[in-house]
Amino acid sequence: MTKSKQWKQITGFILAAVLLVPTLRAEMRTWTSADGKTLEAEFAGTQGAGSSAKVMLKLPDGSMVPYPISKLSEEDRLFVKGNLPDDPSALAAEIDKLVLNKMKESYYGLRDELAALPGNTNMSNADKAKRKEEIEREMQMCIPNEMTDDNQFLRRIYLDVAGRIPTYDEAEAFLNSRSDTKRADLIDELLESEGFVMRMFNYYSDLFRIREGIFMMGNGDLKADPYIEWVKQSIRDDKPYDEMVRDMLTANGQIWEDPASGYLLADSGMRLCNLSNTFTVFMGTEITCAQCHDHPFEEVYQMDFYKMASFMGETETRARGGNSMMMMGGDNYRQEVQRMSKVLKDAGKLRERENEDRQLRQWLGVKSIMVYDDGTNAVRLPHDYKYDDGEPEMEVKPDTYFGDRMNVEEFESPRHAFAEWVSSPGNPRFTINAVNRFWKIAFGLAQIEPVYNIPGHLDGQAQNYELLVFLEEMMKDLDYSVKDFFRVIYNSKAYQREAETMSPSLTQVDKGTYHFPGPILRRMSAEQLWDSLVTLTTPDPEAFTRSGAEEYKEWMHTDTTTLKTADEIMSYKESWRDIGKIRKYNEQYVSRDDYVDGEEMFRASEMRQPMPDSHFLRMFGQSDKQLIENQFTTGSSPQVMALLNGKITNKILTSPDAYLIKEIANGTGSKRDNIEKIFLSVLTRQPTSEEKQVAQSGMRAKRESGMSDQEKMEAEADAIGNVIWALVNTREFLFIQ
Amino acid sequence: MKDQLNRLDQLSRRQFVARTAKTALGVSIVPLAGTSSKVIAAAGGGKAEHCIFFYMAGGMTHMDTFDPKPGTETGGNTKGIPTGVAGVELSEFMPKMAERFNDIAVVRSMTQKTGDHRGGSYWMHTSYQPRATIVHPSMGPWAQKLKGKMHETLPDSVVIGGGGNHPGAGFFGPALSPLPIGDPDKGVQNSRFYEGVDEDLFDKRLELMNTFDDSFRRKFKTDEVTAYTQFYDETLQLMKSEDLDTFDLTKEDNYQEKVNRYGNSRVGKGALLAKRLVSSGVRFVEVVSGGWDMHNDLWNSIQTTGGSLDQALGSLIDDLKAEGLFEKTLIVVGTEFGRTPKINVNGGRDHHPRVFSTMFAGGGISGGQVYGKSDKLGNAVEENPVTPGEFNATIAHALGLDLNEVVYSPSGRPFLVAGHTRDPKTDEIITEHNPIMELFS
Repeated sequence: MTKSKQWKQITGFILAAVLLVPTLRAEMRTWTSADGKTLEAEFAGTQGAGSSAKVMLKLPDGSMVPYPISKLSEEDRLFVKGNLPDDPSALAAEIDKLVLNKMKESYYGLRDELAALPGNTNMSNADKAKRKEEIEREMQMCIPNEMTDDNQFLRRIYLDVAGRIPTYDEAEAFLNSRSDTKRADLIDELLESEGFVMRMFNYYSDLFRIREGIFMMGNGDLKADPYIEWVKQSIRDDKPYDEMVRDMLTANGQIWEDPASGYLLADSGMRLCNLSNTFTVFMGTEITCAQCHDHPFEEVYQMDFYKMASFMGETETRARGGNSMMMMGGDNYRQEVQRMSKVLKDAGKLRERENEDRQLRQWLGVKSIMVYDDGTNAVRLPHDYKYDDGEPEMEVKPDTYFGDRMNVEEFESPRHAFAEWVSSPGNPRFTINAVNRFWKIAFGLAQIEPVYNIPGHLDGQAQNYELLVFLEEMMKDLDYSVKDFFRVIYNSKAYQREAETMSPSLTQVDKGTYHFPGPILRRMSAEQLWDSLVTLTTPDPEAFTRSGAEEYKEWMHTDTTTLKTADEIMSYKESWRDIGKIRKYNEQYVSRDDYVDGEEMFRASEMRQPMPDSHFLRMFGQSDKQLIENQFTTGSSPQVMALLNGKITNKILTSPDAYLIKEIANGTGSKRDNIEKIFLSVLTRQPTSEEKQVAQSGMRAKRESGMSDQEKMEAEADAIGNVIWALVNTREFLFIQ
Repeated sequence: MKDQLNRLDQLSRRQFVARTAKTALGVSIVPLAGTSSKVIAAAGGGKAEHCIFFYMAGGMTHMDTFDPKPGTETGGNTKGIPTGVAGVELSEFMPKMAERFNDIAVVRSMTQKTGDHRGGSYWMHTSYQPRATIVHPSMGPWAQKLKGKMHETLPDSVVIGGGGNHPGAGFFGPALSPLPIGDPDKGVQNSRFYEGVDEDLFDKRLELMNTFDDSFRRKFKTDEVTAYTQFYDETLQLMKSEDLDTFDLTKEDNYQEKVNRYGNSRVGKGALLAKRLVSSGVRFVEVVSGGWDMHNDLWNSIQTTGGSLDQALGSLIDDLKAEGLFEKTLIVVGTEFGRTPKINVNGGRDHHPRVFSTMFAGGGISGGQVYGKSDKLGNAVEENPVTPGEFNATIAHALGLDLNEVVYSPSGRPFLVAGHTRDPKTDEIITEHNPIMELFS
């Protein structure tokens, strides 16, 4: 396994980008450093970005002085901030510089170690040989990969940003474009597409455990639709990430009133688990151990856990009161359900088998489920607390164990203080956690693994510490715009290089010595795979979307006392079922006619969350949404059997009625064109001449004497189907290069 | 990738602990004192090589199956029938169990704390209450984890007819997941050629696939790509092997006669498939059967639901005995909770976790006995309460699993099969749930 890559090719690339501001803005002003010194100078632009960025100051004598922005006074920093490069290509160039520097540094280090190896008297020859092999392998991974060609880039950027492969038309449009900026343009276009919303929703729904019914246990009838739509809308609007987190932690009331409450409701009645989950999801910190005892390997004491938990101690996420009276014209909802049941029964419409009265009781019962603060801290030290800094069952005051101390009195509630602490730029783990996770989305491997366990001291733990710190600053400078963050990453050369052909070893991952010569090769996530298959069945994969939050709110606001007759009650009941249904562009509900061969071929984000465990999506690793990041991409025999013998590859994509086959059959192209069209549709590339030949023989339709035209056409379609079947079953289809 | 990282994480933590132990305590970490198989055997356990676990989803009414209260104000229309043991009656809907009472042991004092289906089911399957931070493994994967795989090519555990909320392998990860079989008649999903596809066509397609994939596989020799190619090879082998027939109920000798005997029902066919799997070398088979959530019109549905369970169990016991497998196979009947003694306005019973019944047979269980007791009306436990942890400890003991063996979750937390805990300071195992020793001969 040798690479012909050489360092020489790319060393010339490292150039610092200086951004000059237009002369109009240049005016003499007084600059103040953080330690109070002043200087008169003109603002002449910035150099670099992130923590290493410098401001260029033009002195009255005309000389230029670069000065670190981090050493300026707060006021001056704000002045400069608006002038920091937000041009994605400039920021991307900084990333590339840091990636290359690290690789180079590591390469020379390894080269020196290799040279010194024969002289090492402390190692046996066997160990030396083993180490030599390791070093040589790692050195190969310290040389940047070739840039992707347009086909490779196209497929990968669609999968990463829009969550699916491109359609044939989309592929054609990009590949035929002559524009110099077509890659950057496509990135912009995809970030604004509904595909990006769907793709990011899949990511967040695994991270936040967004599921139908929301409650982990108990009443499973609390609909998730308002929460689901809120998350999607936040992605669509590019709501700043820190704001999104604050919204979730400070949400109040019922889910149809404040949809962000879905986050806390997911752990209803389990406030200590919720605290652990919040640390994992938003700070990459695992503190579950400290719930029962001092953390065995890190500086987290059991007392710390309960001090943190006390911030959320007043927050209730269970049904409020057993006898709640809400929006019911003053009537208790149970009585109201009894009244409605009686009306139905008297009219002979209470279908016992359907458990109608119980359904209504459950559905209306969720009116009392909400997030609220009751003013008393319910958190106590456990009954078996055995350290000497507290007594069992004792109440403790909310306090933080890293980052800023919070004065609870200054906030609306202790929970608001907690939300502020979690999501502030000053929290040493909040931004790092976000950029570490987002980097992993693009590159397949995080700077720090595992992502849920970021150590207190980062240096020496990250694959590239300087880069990680840069990304953290960049995220802050971009005001937590997720779209802008990804825009920079995807515009970088580091991302646009070919995928690494070797797997980084566990030692490399552990020691932080994989420096990203390119993204790593990844198996598609279950959703990417499913959505790509959906793409092969339709000209518009985003045509069908799910909705229902508005209807749900209306349903919940209905004054049921106005429902007098059995028919009114029945129609009210029926309307419950329309919430959370999939619709077409024209707002019409999806009917059986829209299903492809009886199968719901809609994008994963619009379907049930999660799908039942026998479904294709679950088989390939869709999260069950019970635990944080519970998706998987490891293989299994049932997956292979589904691809070999399942309905999708054997009927939906390959029967004479299949979308792709009809497209090809209705086209006027020659057989040769058809093969190219299939390859471009499925693998986003042209076939090689050998593949064309083999495909042509594979597409040779069965000919028997006496076949009718219809039979001939079907035989032809079968032949095309064989090629599609074969392409979908390749590893090339399943993996993201 | 994720699984590799999890392993890595666990490993580096263990190394960390070992290092700390060495430096701080001056000792190397010593293996924890486990219960040896000899100790388990001396206590009557470890005789079961296999387990068939019937899970009655929805909450099996104890009042109308294994713990009838005829003639009391809560007994309803259910009559009792004699079992041959003085003073012990089963319900009239369990005639075959009453006839074979010498082979079975009934526990009438099960109790747990939650009345919701998912929570109760989770607790019964894992010995742990649900948490939002971890999924605990169920018993089949625990057995595989502690004893290793039983058969080279067949899976170690299978769940027949399970729904979406089965905890499966929990934190053990997908590799130890029970193989799911939805419909016992259909066997393993997608294991046969799709209709209209024959071997020639299949092979032709494979050839195309291999040609198209050739350059990619040569370029990317990552572990994951190689693993997938191996999965393809293994799956193609499996498709051609006789192992697949193990899952094909129709291949059973005298299939129709057996279906008549076991009952043409989900639970009947599930039991028959379970027997077929166990005799081929699968260790743990769970048969999930619903219809027990009898809020309405209980006496209408108990006849079929209870009757089909009784019929399936009866034939299974007979056949396992005839094949000499009864002593090697533990049969368990479990559920999430019982049902209220009070009959509701719809002629049904509601959820009742305070007391309910389960059943054990075979695999070293000494039959002809009732363990524990509910009160006169079936409201609460009167004698010898049994928790889900003790229920699972009993299964573990019968299978010879070491209740004191610590297994680490990927985040480095220690767990034990039936919910024992470990003192984080002294590493001592704290006994939480004991097996019901009275059930073992």
